[in-house]
Amino acid sequence: MTLEIQNLHVRTEEREILHGVDLTVKRGETHALMGPNGSGKSTLANTLMCNPSYEVTDGRIVLDGEDLTEAEPDERARAGLFMAFQYPATIPGVSVANFLRMAVNARREEAIKVKEFGGLLKENMELLRIDRDFTSRYLNEGFSGGEKKRAEILQLAMLQPDFAVLDETDSGLDIDALRIVSDGVNAMRGDERGFLIITHYTRILGYVRPDYVHIMIDGRIVREGGAELADELEDKGYEWVREEVAASAG
Amino acid sequence: MPASPRASDLVEDRRRAALEVYEREPVPTWRRSGFWTTTLRGLDLDALEPKRYEPGLPELDLGDEEHAALIVQRGATVVHTHVADERITVMPLERAVEERPERVAAYFGRRLPYDDGKFAAGTAAFWTGGVFIDVPPNERIERPIQVVWLIDEPGTTQWAHTLAVVGEHAECRIREFFLAPDFDGQALHSGAFELYALPGAQVDLAHYQDWGRGEVHDLSTRRVEIRRDARVKWVPIHLGGRLTKQTLDIITAEQGSDMRHTGLYFTERDEHLDLFTTDKHEEGHTTGDTVWKGVLTGDSRASYEGLIHIVPRATETDTYLQTHQMLLSPKARGDAIPSLIVEVDNVKASHGGTVGELDQEQIFYMMTRGLSRAEAVRVLVEGYFEEVVQRLEDPGLERLVRRRIAEKLAGAEDQVREFIGERAA
Repeated sequence: MTLEIQNLHVRTEEREILHGVDLTVKRGETHALMGPNGSGKSTLANTLMCNPSYEVTDGRIVLDGEDLTEAEPDERARAGLFMAFQYPATIPGVSVANFLRMAVNARREEAIKVKEFGGLLKENMELLRIDRDFTSRYLNEGFSGGEKKRAEILQLAMLQPDFAVLDETDSGLDIDALRIVSDGVNAMRGDERGFLIITHYTRILGYVRPDYVHIMIDGRIVREGGAELADELEDKGYEWVREEVAASAG
Repeated sequence: MPASPRASDLVEDRRRAALEVYEREPVPTWRRSGFWTTTLRGLDLDALEPKRYEPGLPELDLGDEEHAALIVQRGATVVHTHVADERITVMPLERAVEERPERVAAYFGRRLPYDDGKFAAGTAAFWTGGVFIDVPPNERIERPIQVVWLIDEPGTTQWAHTLAVVGEHAECRIREFFLAPDFDGQALHSGAFELYALPGAQVDLAHYQDWGRGEVHDLSTRRVEIRRDARVKWVPIHLGGRLTKQTLDIITAEQGSDMRHTGLYFTERDEHLDLFTTDKHEEGHTTGDTVWKGVLTGDSRASYEGLIHIVPRATETDTYLQTHQMLLSPKARGDAIPSLIVEVDNVKASHGGTVGELDQEQIFYMMTRGLSRAEAVRVLVEGYFEEVVQRLEDPGLERLVRRRIAEKLAGAEDQVREFIGERAA
């Protein structure tokens, strides 16, 4: 049971950003996708969810054998994909609790019972140490950067997807918030779920230890390895990767 | 009690003078800069007539709340009056002219000149039935006073007049409903509404217009006067009508008066909506807050112009106006124009207006959580209107408004999808 990204080419109106990306995440695995700014990491995350700003010109996205390349974002969500947004949209007039209920119900045949929903919400808010009044606020309206990230992880915890992409969830978080978010993610790791953690920095990987690390530069994955690759990157920086790639190409 | 000659004379003199104006004035066309014109070319006035009915309570959906009073005018006739709360007076205006002459003479038409255009004159000349509301001072009326204007067959003209006086330090809720079933054919509602909130009064006022799919034309003027330290919260809701041309004015007339003016409209098909609101501050130390939001679908046209007018002596006024409009169809056209006349320094007045479309990023975000595109649109539009709907502070009416908006959105689903698809491509 896997999420397979095969030879993915993606462009915006202006130019091609991903030039053939291959990446496979199995359930139970946690992968980190690292790269400098502008390398195409967020493009990959958004393309996995079918953001209309990006066009797939070649390649496939396959989830558990089902080709999702042409699927709408809501079909992908119902198939088990989730992305925690780097910059989530603000939804005025819709409370966090209401939105969560709609999202939970979108994946179920029958609407969740009020009591069951309340219990699940309480449990997950405790896990993420979120205040009770948080859920009556309009989603992301007036939220600080840290609150937005926490709201994303709360949705992740409520929706229990099969595969979760975390798009720079760590950026903009202070140490305490990063630890809470990481604890939340760790609590959700397990045989039934795969994670793709997209990050610019290595610090979240100190809390959420990946099984595999991929480094993306200029729309291509250029290096792959285990958790030790992140440590090496921490010591040597992206320039080192760039030089190595240039050397091997030359 | 014998009828006071004063009140009935006043009304009759006004009818005669207004009739002259009505007969003299041509059917107007309203033009504004830009593309905007409101014309009655499509209305066959000669084919319409006032229709009279036997008394009886028609079937109505008013958001199922118990009332302090309910008065229903069907066509030209008040067909039902029920006053549950003995403290208040609610009766046909025709009867109040006879039975409450002093009160009527003191307020009738005070803020509504009869010579303000052909249809204001027509209303002043031809009104029948009518509604009179009088809330005595220092009483708190919990349940709403409900007024219904019903047009249930084509070929109808309804000349409407409501006079409401809320006594000093009284508190009440007034709801006027404008309802028609879906029918084929034309009708005209030409209405006048005046509310006087006397010193210290607190009035929660709502207008709910849903004229259905028939060709109902609504040409109305509604004016609210707020006296010293009184407060009026006014929520007009426009959910349907072939052509609506309305002037809605709210006047803080004395110091310490406060207004909250929050409206919404949803236009569809070939509806045409033309709203002009004025928040007029006639004295200093008054406060105001106006928010209007609209959604347009189909081939509809909607124009909202909101004016803040602060006269020279109204120093220390603090007010703002915001208007937003959301287009959900490539063929809909609208504008939202805030404007400001400030004739004095030392006030706080600000305004803003936006015309926009649904945000792709918001729709994408919600879809990644499993909501279909149609659900995402519905949730966004409901969220957009939520600020206004919540100001109703009336669960029954809120439910009614939300349900009607959801129905209208469901009806517009295909065109919205097409529109959003086009924008995304």
